[in-house]
Amino acid sequence: MAERPEDLNLPNAVVGRIIKEAIPEGVNVSKEARLAISKAASVFVLYATSCSNNFALKGKRKTISAQDVLNAMEEMEFEQFIDPLTSALEAFRKEMRGKKTAAEKKKKEKEAVNSSLEEGGTSGEKEESDEEVTYQGEENDGFIITVNDDNEEGEEVEEDVEEVEDG
Amino acid sequence: MEDIEETDLEQEKELQPNEGDDAQQTDHKLLKLPLSRIKAIIKMDPDVSITSHEAAVILAKATELFINVVSRDASIRTLQAKRKTLLKKDLETVLETRDCYAFLEGAIDT
Repeated sequence: MAERPEDLNLPNAVVGRIIKEAIPEGVNVSKEARLAISKAASVFVLYATSCSNNFALKGKRKTISAQDVLNAMEEMEFEQFIDPLTSALEAFRKEMRGKKTAAEKKKKEKEAVNSSLEEGGTSGEKEESDEEVTYQGEENDGFIITVNDDNEEGEEVEEDVEEVEDG
Repeated sequence: MEDIEETDLEQEKELQPNEGDDAQQTDHKLLKLPLSRIKAIIKMDPDVSITSHEAAVILAKATELFINVVSRDASIRTLQAKRKTLLKKDLETVLETRDCYAFLEGAIDT
């Protein structure tokens, strides 16, 4: 950890915003102080990662889990983080579950629309539709979805566990 | 030399005005820091093989909390010194004071 994580500094604007929200109104932050806090935060990540990894290895695992991170916080004497982090984890998991369900629905919507478009002979353009499409998925029985253009959000959904693999 | 008042750590839980809102809004608002950058830092550790997505998210969140706590502690020092601008030396003083910041020794030296 002798290397300076300067290249991996967190974005100034975001760090600045977090600082501003943390300090009393009317107090400003010097650029130097903001940079120093940013550097400290990067080192925090490094140290927390290392700590978390130790817990993973102790558990004979190669993948760092959220629990490992929580354990690391305690080890690093940041116990006050554990409660808010646990809440955040819950919220995140909930969001992921919601996203997954929404994504599955959307995917099947699209498939249904595509197949109905093919039948109609229209290529490329999506119809402005009040068209109701019967969902024909295996798991659902007759769930009806109204297809609107507004549904097109173009949002990609990642898998639940995205692994950051160290090359 | 005035003593640095200890931040009431339990307030940490309550003083997250954005948390509740963010959790109720959609996705990405759970985090302020970019996850990609956090992951890049994680990858710097040669001993780390794989990190779960959840772990990276929680680490990012922890970092936000860290910035929050450190800033607040430093700002108390600022006010005690009757200044309106948080300077690097306020941060330095704070880092020397608490054991939990010991790992940062030398980290912010230019």
